[in-house]
Amino acid sequence: MEKLTIDGLHTIKENYRSRLTEGRLMVCGGTGCIAGGSLKIKDSLEATLKEKNISDKYKVILTGCNGFCAHGPLLLVQPEGIFYERMKPVDAPEFIEEHIVAGRRLDRLLYKDTKTRASVENIHDIPFFNLQALGALKNRGIIDPENIEEYIAVDGYFGAAKALREMTPEEIVKEVRGSVLRGRGGAGFVTGLKWELCAQAQGQHKYILCNGDEGDPGAFMDRSIMEADPHVVLEGMIIAAKAIGAHHGYIYVRAEYPLAVRRLRKAINQALEYGLLGKDILGSGFDLELDIYPGAGAFVCGEETALMRSIEGKRGCPIPRPPFPAQKGLWERPTVLNNVETFANIPSIIRNGADWFKSRGTEKSTGTKVFALTGAAMNTGLIEIPFGISLRTILEDIGGGMNRGRTFKALQLGGPSGGCIPAELLDIPVTYEDIVKTGAIVGSGGMVIMDNNNCMVNLARFFLDFSAHESCGKCTPCRVGTKVMLNRLIDICDGKGQEGDIELLEDLADDIKTASLCGLGQTAPNPVLTTIKYFRNEYEAHIKDKWCFAGVCKNLSTFYVDESKCTGCTACARACQVGAVVGEKKKSHSITQEKCVRCRSCYNACKFGAVKVGPADMFSQKEKEYAR
Amino acid sequence: MGKNVLVVDDDEIVIRSCEAVLGGEGFTVTGVTSSKEAMSLINDHAYDLVITDLIMPTIDGFELIKWINENHQQTRVMAMTGYSSKAVLRDAIALDIIDFLPKPFFPHTLTAAVNKAISTPLKAPAAVSDKEEAETYDKAKFQAILKRYRKVPGALIVVLQETQELIGYLPASVQKVIAKSLKIPVSEVHAVVSFYSYFTMKPMGKYNVRVCLGTACYVKRADEILEKLQETMGVNEGEITQDGMFSLETVRCIGACGLAPVVLVGQDTFGSVNPATANEILKEYQ
Repeated sequence: MEKLTIDGLHTIKENYRSRLTEGRLMVCGGTGCIAGGSLKIKDSLEATLKEKNISDKYKVILTGCNGFCAHGPLLLVQPEGIFYERMKPVDAPEFIEEHIVAGRRLDRLLYKDTKTRASVENIHDIPFFNLQALGALKNRGIIDPENIEEYIAVDGYFGAAKALREMTPEEIVKEVRGSVLRGRGGAGFVTGLKWELCAQAQGQHKYILCNGDEGDPGAFMDRSIMEADPHVVLEGMIIAAKAIGAHHGYIYVRAEYPLAVRRLRKAINQALEYGLLGKDILGSGFDLELDIYPGAGAFVCGEETALMRSIEGKRGCPIPRPPFPAQKGLWERPTVLNNVETFANIPSIIRNGADWFKSRGTEKSTGTKVFALTGAAMNTGLIEIPFGISLRTILEDIGGGMNRGRTFKALQLGGPSGGCIPAELLDIPVTYEDIVKTGAIVGSGGMVIMDNNNCMVNLARFFLDFSAHESCGKCTPCRVGTKVMLNRLIDICDGKGQEGDIELLEDLADDIKTASLCGLGQTAPNPVLTTIKYFRNEYEAHIKDKWCFAGVCKNLSTFYVDESKCTGCTACARACQVGAVVGEKKKSHSITQEKCVRCRSCYNACKFGAVKVGPADMFSQKEKEYAR
Repeated sequence: MGKNVLVVDDDEIVIRSCEAVLGGEGFTVTGVTSSKEAMSLINDHAYDLVITDLIMPTIDGFELIKWINENHQQTRVMAMTGYSSKAVLRDAIALDIIDFLPKPFFPHTLTAAVNKAISTPLKAPAAVSDKEEAETYDKAKFQAILKRYRKVPGALIVVLQETQELIGYLPASVQKVIAKSLKIPVSEVHAVVSFYSYFTMKPMGKYNVRVCLGTACYVKRADEILEKLQETMGVNEGEITQDGMFSLETVRCIGACGLAPVVLVGQDTFGSVNPATANEILKEYQ
């Protein structure tokens, strides 16, 4: 087809704008909802509409991730914004009958307020959504991610048009520097500064790279952006390419994200077809070629120099800096690498200006940040908030508080490079500076809520196991150091901890942080250090009392029934798979220790808190006391 | 001795003289005048030695030798030709043959060469297992992958990914072929294969079961799910069930944390899995 001009872009926007206000049934097509059957829901909705002869009134659209994953599969009725949750394919005909034909609401599938249990119809009245401030996620769930016209209808590619046709590279860099946008991938380096260094670097060939190798366990921000709005990533890259003078770029995506790869590939093909990529984009004379490079699964490849080695077809091992990638990066040529979310922020900055961007957030941490809120909160999913609001607001208001019957213990931020923040620090604002003071990092945005069922020592062991396994092996402090720390932690969790272990861990952590080559090693001890800092008593109980408070470490716990609390409801006895819980109905139960395998089934089943966890040798201690 | 020898030559006189000479020495000699006939005979009968001319109409001797090397590695091959130019000689030797016989030849040269060839030990059993591994996938598609990336710098990871998609895993024999094609050392190929978690050197089950051990899944007891599945399947992580139906792996976060804890079977995702009943997921696939 003919290449698009700026007039053509305006025509498409006008033509498709009206579509967004027509009747549309937006079925969430994020990975979570697809797993819940949203593809079948879409088919069933379409079939029912056809059956009733009203296909022309409503179109069914498969969107990207809506964010409210815990309540999926989701359905949003546009333009009114009526929100249905936990849909099943069998619900589709009833929904059409009630909502579309009869004009009523299908109450049982509406969102229920976490406190009052009252139904909430409109998406904008649900606290999970209305407390968020969208930036990078602004198009999520409201456009069809596989349709470039819809992206253009919501001002898509107008940022690129402005950058390519009206701005010089220096002006673009100045605007982005002015916004104080910091890299959203983890380290928080100022994006504009990185671009400036690369723009000034000498070289005919430069590269623009997008980091979609989201390896943090417990994080899925980039995945959702790539799935819900792939074109925004391309547009951000076009603008960056113009700023630094690159004509070739790669998007590095994890192979574990097949849907993201497919949608990006489709987006690139559409953009090529419209002349928004390739030669002479929008008649500006600027060329850019973009390719997708599927990663092969290595956490360290999130580190920029390692990622570049991986694109070169080698083992993903980092190399020392300087020279910085902005001077010598991929194939030894000047390269800029930014994270998916960083690129997703760029088009709005160019369109609306740096001041608009700075109007949200704080002075040093500007704009908004996407977090993946998971764990023991009521409302888990993907959220975008302005910097500066408190962690408590995120947990209590957006997250809807803790799951019923659970008590907050810690908030883990930043994955294996981050740390755990305890209850007493929940009121600090979310900014790069304030989070670092706690020992954690903002990181890429994984936010996991822990409750009293989680053992902090075991959690530290989990993260260190991850880092030790993912260490590339190039430098000794990281390769050997993380392994030695891990072995200490495994011993502590197994009940073989010794006096002095905590000090040894702190000592090792210090060495690894100082001496490691790249970010992986420099931050790997953070989960251990923060848990020691805030939950030292748990470490001490593991080592001295052989007691895991949460009953997670099997060698360090004894489950017993508190007779004063037991109502004899038999829930625990029914949950026990090995027949260790005995007792008659309405009478207090007890646990036969010889049979107990410490699977926690009874602990989880008890609604009265009568099953408790004691130290490993609590009964032998009692016997000792009796003997005396 | 009763050894079976197949002679392939478009010139019947050569066949007849071979029959006369080798028949007198106790060999059973079969002669055919085209590669096509030779191929169908080799498919049906076992020959101790194949002697082939190089320059023949339609399918020439080079093609025939290549075909034998690929499909019947246990067959010894000897070439003979009247065009013994250096170039032909070099090409022929590159083909992995036992001996090369210039025409015309004296009867005793032929007997000596054949006796020597027959006493050459067959290829080591390792080659057999390579062959078995190699037989299960589409060779033409593999060659197409290699051809596409032969001259692309830094293409190793992409080649490995596409090859693994085709074959299901990356056995050592395949890594060798890739190294040769991309002109890089085998050690470098293996270094990359062993570095990235996506690559595997072991075959997978019909359904690959992956337990997510990301943070969100971990705090919701994904380790207990893993234990339960190991118990039900009777295998450890990284192993395959005896019937070849399931293999069990762990994965570091698939980014579906809202559904935690998550188990994947093939491409299907199962969310909010209960550790106690995790084994029921497998029932759908049995």
